Amino acid sequence: MAAVTATPDAGTVERTDTDEVVQLEPPWITLVWDDPVNLMSYVTFVFTDYFHYSRSKAQRLMMQVHNEGRAVVATGSREEMERDVQAMHSYGLWATLQKSDA
Amino acid sequence: MSHFRSRRKGGVHVELPPYAAGLLANLTRQLIELLRDGEPTIRTGTDPLEAMLDFEGPSEAPEDPALRRLLPDAHRDDDEAAAEFRRFTERGLRESKVGDATVVLTTLGVLGDAGDGGEGALEADVEFELDREQARAWLRCLTDLRLTLAERLGVTADDDETWDALPEDDERLPVYEIYHWLGYLLESLLDAVRR
Repeated sequence: MAAVTATPDAGTVERTDTDEVVQLEPPWITLVWDDPVNLMSYVTFVFTDYFHYSRSKAQRLMMQVHNEGRAVVATGSREEMERDVQAMHSYGLWATLQKSDA
Repeated sequence: MSHFRSRRKGGVHVELPPYAAGLLANLTRQLIELLRDGEPTIRTGTDPLEAMLDFEGPSEAPEDPALRRLLPDAHRDDDEAAAEFRRFTERGLRESKVGDATVVLTTLGVLGDAGDGGEGALEADVEFELDREQARAWLRCLTDLRLTLAERLGVTADDDETWDALPEDDERLPVYEIYHWLGYLLESLLDAVRR
């Protein structure tokens, strides 16, 4: 396979709206908050089971929730975060969504 | 000895003494009642077709603190967005929690014996298999039960010592012991699921 040597034709794409670039960034986040009831092992399990995170990433996020009171567990579109928050609520975790710059 | 043993493909073998199965069934029934009772009644007197197509739920958080913990606001600093989210999702969330609780009752074998669903119905050890999804329904339901009891008891962070030192005549003690036991059940089931 040869490398593609042609350069993109920059002249044909006219970017008039910078908002489009901003929209490529996922602007919403799902936060999970610390609560006095949920077991640390269970919170870690939920992060691996639902988000399919590795055990070490899930454990790191769980510790962040525990020590800092909250952690960003997912980033994406508003609709995706709404789905994630509802799933967290079905597992009994206390979760909220918000704009990532809020 | 644990009540839960790992099976292939994420399944779990469960063995519970009758008192434990009876208590769990009893608590789970109460949880279903809580999730159903607290639900604002669907408007009456409207066109039946309209009522069937009305998927919208309430926009206000439930008054009962336990229900509010089970069905929390999805937006922290935006009341309008929280109300909107609740309107479109609360009914579904209640149904999924009732669904998990129903899996617990069904697998315990105490659903369907109409008129004979009391605690006295269970006399021998209860043994059954959970598949992968049923085990998850159990984990979520045990969690919902713990959240509900914790809210009723007023459990807060770092107060283990207070609870462990409750005097024997304290009326909260039996409830706290059940709460503690549910935590033990959840932890052992989790061990079996992860293995």
